Amino acid sequence: MSNTKYMMSGGLAFSENKDMEKLRKFSLKGWHVSTFAFMGYKLTKGTSTDYIYSVDYQLLDTEEKEEYVDFFHASGWTHVTSEANMHLFRALPGTKPIHTERETVAEKHENSGKMLIHAAILLCFMTALFWLGSLITSEGLQITFIVIAIILTAITIPTVGTILTTYHNKWKAEGKIILARIAKSVAILFVITPLFVILLTANSPNSLLRLFISMAIGGIALPVLIWIIMSLYYKFSYKGEKI
Amino acid sequence: MKANEQLTDSMFYIMAALTKPRHGYAIMNLIEERSLGQITIGPASMYTIIKKLLKQEWIYLHDGSKARRKTYLLTEKGKEILKADIQLRKLMINLAEEGLKEAEE
Repeated sequence: MSNTKYMMSGGLAFSENKDMEKLRKFSLKGWHVSTFAFMGYKLTKGTSTDYIYSVDYQLLDTEEKEEYVDFFHASGWTHVTSEANMHLFRALPGTKPIHTERETVAEKHENSGKMLIHAAILLCFMTALFWLGSLITSEGLQITFIVIAIILTAITIPTVGTILTTYHNKWKAEGKIILARIAKSVAILFVITPLFVILLTANSPNSLLRLFISMAIGGIALPVLIWIIMSLYYKFSYKGEKI
Repeated sequence: MKANEQLTDSMFYIMAALTKPRHGYAIMNLIEERSLGQITIGPASMYTIIKKLLKQEWIYLHDGSKARRKTYLLTEKGKEILKADIQLRKLMINLAEEGLKEAEE
């Protein structure tokens, strides 16, 4: 029997609490998270322990990280693993929470979306450009433009949706309930509307099929892209120093 | 945060602990001890606030020679901000104390 296991993440922006709760349940069964993995966590077999988990977001260089982790150790939290700006900690039940003030919880959620914002702006811009291109070209070139535009759309929508969700989390933490609800509604609208528009404008089963294939490519490309952007971002920021 | 805004409670406690050079762990301990264990500042909150106070230049890195034991101290600007906040907090304590006294009479 293998002594490693993979646990899928629901997406930290969307289901942080659920993920942390799931990690706790796995620890009770003797499976402890050792590192972040692609769209999830890698668990390693050990002895059953009741651990609670918390994730925090901070962009740190190697020296800052030492002090940061030290603060956690002093408070009873053990550092498990880090990836880019995400840091995972565990502690025994009853340990005081890592955030004790809602202002800093709000900042945590703001930090979590920061790395995606630049990518999202670039994506929106490129998507618009390719849709525009498809309007002014014809024949084979037009099809190429449309396919790229659809792939980009499929990447852009969830990216923007994720950022809006991090703002929803931030405003919720600040007690700005109305703003938080608006962010969530816009996020949902942003995901649903383009889908409808595309489905309604596709005029034949053939083009519909092409559409779904393009969307699928985009859907798979998105998480890969996020992973690459995040690793690159932090490698370039800190010249490849492993934090 | 603007200079005329009120400090959050945690910011106030941390600044109050930085009238002398102290490192993060010492700040957390002092706050917990002086509040008789009633106030704890979580490590993530602590780190976020230290960064923010440094950026505002209300505190500065007093001794950064050891990464694990970096010490911080209030700047002159930080002292002014802390004094102003104490005044404001005193006013509100007075309101509560006077109100209670009147209610008992």
